Amino acid sequence: MEQTNVLVTGGTGFLGSEVVKKLVELRRYSVTVIDINPPSLGTQAFSTVRYVRANILSPTELAEVFAESQPAVVVHTAGIVPDGQARYSKSGKAAVFQVNVEGTRNVIQAAKECGARGLVFTSSVTVVVDEMGKDFVNADEEWPTGRATLVYGQSKALAEDLVLAANTSDFSTCALRAAPIFGPSDVIIPTLHALIPTSSFILGEGTNLVDFVYLSNIADAHVLAVQNLLNSGTTAGQAIFITNGEPITSRDLCLSVWKEFHHVPRWSISVPVGLAWWLGLFAEVVGWISGAEGSLSRGVVLDGSSTRYFSIRKARRLLGYDPRVSMPEAVKLTCQVRI
Amino acid sequence: MPSPLSLAYYIIHPQELRSIVQWKVWHNPVHERDESKESANLKRCFHFLALTSRSFVAVILELHPELLVPMTLFYLALRGLDTVEDDMTLPLEKKEPILRDFDNILEKDGWTFTESGPNEKDRQLLVEFNVVIEEFKNVKPAYKAIIKDITKRMGNGMADYCNNAEHNTNGVNTIADYELYCHYVAGLVGEGCTRLFVEAGLANPALLKRPELMESMGQFLQQVNILRDIKEDYDDKRRFWPKEIWSKYVTEFDDLFKPENKDKALQASSEMVLTALNRADDCLYYLAGLKEQSVFNFCAIPQSMAIATLDVCFQNYGIFQKVVKITKGDACQLMIESTQNLQLVCDIFRRYSRKIHRKNNPHDPNFLRISMACGKTEQFIESIFPSTPKPFDPKTSPKSAEEAAKKAAEANEHKWDMIYMGLAVATTLTVITLSMFFIAWLAGARFDIAWVQFKEQIGQLLGTSGPSNATITNTGAEHNEL
Repeated sequence: MEQTNVLVTGGTGFLGSEVVKKLVELRRYSVTVIDINPPSLGTQAFSTVRYVRANILSPTELAEVFAESQPAVVVHTAGIVPDGQARYSKSGKAAVFQVNVEGTRNVIQAAKECGARGLVFTSSVTVVVDEMGKDFVNADEEWPTGRATLVYGQSKALAEDLVLAANTSDFSTCALRAAPIFGPSDVIIPTLHALIPTSSFILGEGTNLVDFVYLSNIADAHVLAVQNLLNSGTTAGQAIFITNGEPITSRDLCLSVWKEFHHVPRWSISVPVGLAWWLGLFAEVVGWISGAEGSLSRGVVLDGSSTRYFSIRKARRLLGYDPRVSMPEAVKLTCQVRI
Repeated sequence: MPSPLSLAYYIIHPQELRSIVQWKVWHNPVHERDESKESANLKRCFHFLALTSRSFVAVILELHPELLVPMTLFYLALRGLDTVEDDMTLPLEKKEPILRDFDNILEKDGWTFTESGPNEKDRQLLVEFNVVIEEFKNVKPAYKAIIKDITKRMGNGMADYCNNAEHNTNGVNTIADYELYCHYVAGLVGEGCTRLFVEAGLANPALLKRPELMESMGQFLQQVNILRDIKEDYDDKRRFWPKEIWSKYVTEFDDLFKPENKDKALQASSEMVLTALNRADDCLYYLAGLKEQSVFNFCAIPQSMAIATLDVCFQNYGIFQKVVKITKGDACQLMIESTQNLQLVCDIFRRYSRKIHRKNNPHDPNFLRISMACGKTEQFIESIFPSTPKPFDPKTSPKSAEEAAKKAAEANEHKWDMIYMGLAVATTLTVITLSMFFIAWLAGARFDIAWVQFKEQIGQLLGTSGPSNATITNTGAEHNEL
């Protein structure tokens, strides 16, 4: 059978490698991966995939690989996600913008020049919701971007604009706005695990619903988007929310993760968000003086007490997306790896 | 007469008493039946309706006149079927042909049945079933066809269960069996009602294209009943909880009722709650398709009662010991809210879903699934009645910028309106006061004497209460300093 060439940027990363795995499993695609860190021989890599070291900040390196591999579709997953307290600070702004915005501009350019027919971009729900202290209830794609106050959301929103603006009749692009992704060896679960000592304190009412997405589900969505751009092309020029479609309270996600580590708090007490905000500020000051980063900050408090969930009707309608791994199983699979 | 215990209860819960009074005093039926035009036969049918149904009689009697009689007869037909099926004194050879042929019986002139066991509470209905048959003749053919079709399918379904020895000794096996059973006894009723509503032009015909919605309406009610009646059914030697669920927690069905298995029993009941709760969003979706108020009430009241019952049964070991019920006050409050519009019913569902969520126990194996079911219900409600508007777009939408400017201008205008209004009122009052003084002066009023007297009186007042006033000011000052 004729194989279609697909190029994945950041293909050895957390999400990229899962997307590559799914593409390889279908046997319809010939996959090229570019990454600044290609896998060392014998690790996790797939024998049928060609791995090339390339930096998305270098247009010449990109042009070379793209010309050589002639991808029909490019999947652009590479990017920087500031984690920990860096998420709430402006300190790494230049680097984040460089990679997420300029890197994306370079990838679009290279893809167009080599004659690719489409590009799937890993965007993020933060393009809409990275506005601290605001609630986003059942948001859909009609909700505006460009209100983000945090660096990551701002950079992703700019990149998404570039991607969608590049959509033309012979070069189709779409952006998948992923909810926070969790899965084996992610960064979310360790963060939640670190909260076990303070597990008896409920932030606010504990009724705020939030959305996540399991790694293999978001990877499925990428594969569906590739197929869509190659066939009907109904997603061309579209931004689409991708979540697990199962909003739960952030408190309940914590509880079910802790339970996997055999911890259930014996008692619990609600801490008003206002008070927690001051505690967060205090922790930040202490951290600044001592030089050690704590797990509490104003950002964490606001993130943990806001409502952020989405409608994924558009994904279901346009992509035929249906999250295959449900939350209970996803939490189990994710935590198992660590034990 | 209210018992002293319930009196004491309502003294502590005045809110519930208020709901009861409100419902009794202020509720007006959407439609009232006109007894003067009813035949003796029909009156007898309504008599049986009241006799055999406690929960549905009120909502049926208030139904749109077009459907009042068809729905009553539909109910009585199914009740007759149920009475035959439940009767343990009847041998299978006798029971089966009646069940399978019940749709034809509805048109058999003068058919009655006197062989029901003496303990069947609704046996009298079958003894006088000819009145139902007589009235059924007058029903419009389209309604007749629907009622007969549902009766036939339910009768055959029941006959299959009676034939199934496995079912009779061991109860329901898998979750699929459980839902199939609920389909026969309740899902079909949902279908029948929906077809009647649509035929009468009182509901959106699109409801028929989404059969899973009407199925969920019936399933939700029936599953909640089965959950709540676990103890009663167990005492009657019937088991409707599927083995697939309870066998995860205990080895024998009887073990559910042993005090040492309390935690296990609660976990099994949580899974039963979960199975039902997953239908909640479908039920709300269905209600959105109803056009007429009495039909809406007819459907919404039982659903609201069901979610409230689900809440009282959740994490409540009492269901294994006695019949757990919602209080009368809560029931009246639910009826008040369920007889208005979909938004209020959605509020009920959100309220009870959050109550369930609050009681959710992290130790429970279904903790996360229950949390998801609550989230799903809430998200569905948001999808039809968004609670927060979407924020402005700062980049584009000159429209919203224009709107914002317009709003600011309006607010400014409002402010000046208020100021002018205040000035006008003050001027008017001043003019009136001055003219009154002037008229009084013309009439010979002595303002100089009045002024002196006024000063004296003030002086007296201050003179007698002067010292104490001073202390008060002093303590006031001290407080201020503190």
